[in-house]
Amino acid sequence: MKYGLFLGCNIPFNRPDVEVSMREIFPALGIELDDLRGQSCCPTWGTLPSIDVVGWCAVAARNLALGEERGIDLMTACNSCYGSLNEARHKMLTNPEIMEKVNEILAKIGKKYEGRAKCRHVAWVLYKDVGLEKLRESIKFSLEGLTVAVQPGCHFLWPSKVYPDKEEDPFNPKVLREICEALGADAPYYSRLIDCCGMGALRSTDPEKSFKLVKDKLECIKEEIDADLIVTTCSSCLIQLDDAQEQLRKKGEINFSIPVFHLVQIVAICMGFDPSRVAGICVTPRDEVIKKILENEVR
Amino acid sequence: MIEGVPSVLNLTEIAEREKEEFGKRVYEVIKELGAERITFCMQCGACASICPLARVGFEWFNKKLIKALLLGLKEELLDDPTPWACVACNRCTEVCPRDVSPFEVMFAMRRLMVEEFAIPTLAIEALRSLYEHGHAVYMTGREARKKVGLPEKPPSTDSDEKALEDLRKILKETKLASLGLIPME
Ligand code: SF4
Ligand code: SF4
Repeated sequence: MKYGLFLGCNIPFNRPDVEVSMREIFPALGIELDDLRGQSCCPTWGTLPSIDVVGWCAVAARNLALGEERGIDLMTACNSCYGSLNEARHKMLTNPEIMEKVNEILAKIGKKYEGRAKCRHVAWVLYKDVGLEKLRESIKFSLEGLTVAVQPGCHFLWPSKVYPDKEEDPFNPKVLREICEALGADAPYYSRLIDCCGMGALRSTDPEKSFKLVKDKLECIKEEIDADLIVTTCSSCLIQLDDAQEQLRKKGEINFSIPVFHLVQIVAICMGFDPSRVAGICVTPRDEVIKKILENEVR
Repeated sequence: MIEGVPSVLNLTEIAEREKEEFGKRVYEVIKELGAERITFCMQCGACASICPLARVGFEWFNKKLIKALLLGLKEELLDDPTPWACVACNRCTEVCPRDVSPFEVMFAMRRLMVEEFAIPTLAIEALRSLYEHGHAVYMTGREARKKVGLPEKPPSTDSDEKALEDLRKILKETKLASLGLIPME
């Protein structure tokens, strides 16, 4: 099995340790990666989607076409890319007029997009293609004894109609919990599990309001399940929960610290890859929990 | 557009559009800008009950914005930041019983605001960066990549001239160019 590794912007420039994690775990789990040379921004919400529907779809289609030309699907660890690419694809597949205009534009660079290639999410590839059984067998260290607060993130779930893989109930998501359980952790429900982290447009428009959302979420995680770590499927959630948490601490608004990881990072650590390379970039310290994980060797 | 000629603000085009739109109800414009089903809204409030913007107190969240647009308000809405705070989460799309896609209304409102040049500086910066590098979020700090042992540049438009040129050609065919929002060479 082979996927085009779609990086986006946040991961390669802000959190390249997430990129390293993907490049390590997937080949080790039997999934080949293609670099999709020449890929660009998905385009993210504040750019073309805010200007022009056809333009949005055209930029997305160029990225998707890079996969289509190679006969493979894309795969991403960023929920925004997952959302933007799949929403654009849905528009093109359901509105022939948009598809036609997009291909007129793509023709100018000698490309076309037929709607075949789609973008998969790394969590779904782990869940479905690799499978929990194989994942369990591939780990050297486990999360046993640790409680994980999962953060699936908006674009992992909604709008379910545009996504290639769907939760049974997108308001009670199970996939990320099941993956974390397969790694040995407890991953209980908490009442703000599906709440927004407040990142992205909300944070750039009004930081105060954004901090309120993330504070409510973090306090809930602390009070209800006293999690040892947070695991998310989204690079934006990762940055927000990690970075805003530190800012809330500095302002004296919270007095606890919960390390945050992207799913692929925690899988990489469990598989025995070097934590400084796969999870070396963060604001909220991770050392203690990483040490605990490395003490949990699987026999 | 003529090849090689820098795109300029086409005032005639905009003037004509405005003439055409004068008298057109604002929701008609919103429909054309992508929110085709806005008129199906029955104001049930499901979208608002679940919207993070409504929860933290933004003024013109989905349901309320839809009502205002259906009533024909426009000028009053142009200065409001709410549409630019929409996280595009699509909780609202998921629950809407009338398939309105309130998210599309929020974004069609952004598109309308863009036509009136009511666009946040940060969005302009992101667009500029997209055109320059092919990445909206573009950090100059290469150190992080080196630190984790990755090549300084990812295998994207950032390290592929031809691909960046292709992307720019595409961008020049979009409204980004016809509106003249950013310098494009
Ligand atoms: S959920 Fe749909 S029908 Fe109900 S208020 Fe929102 S947009 Fe209107
Ligand atoms: S997509 Fe925007 S309007 Fe809809 S629920 Fe999310 S933040 Fe609110």
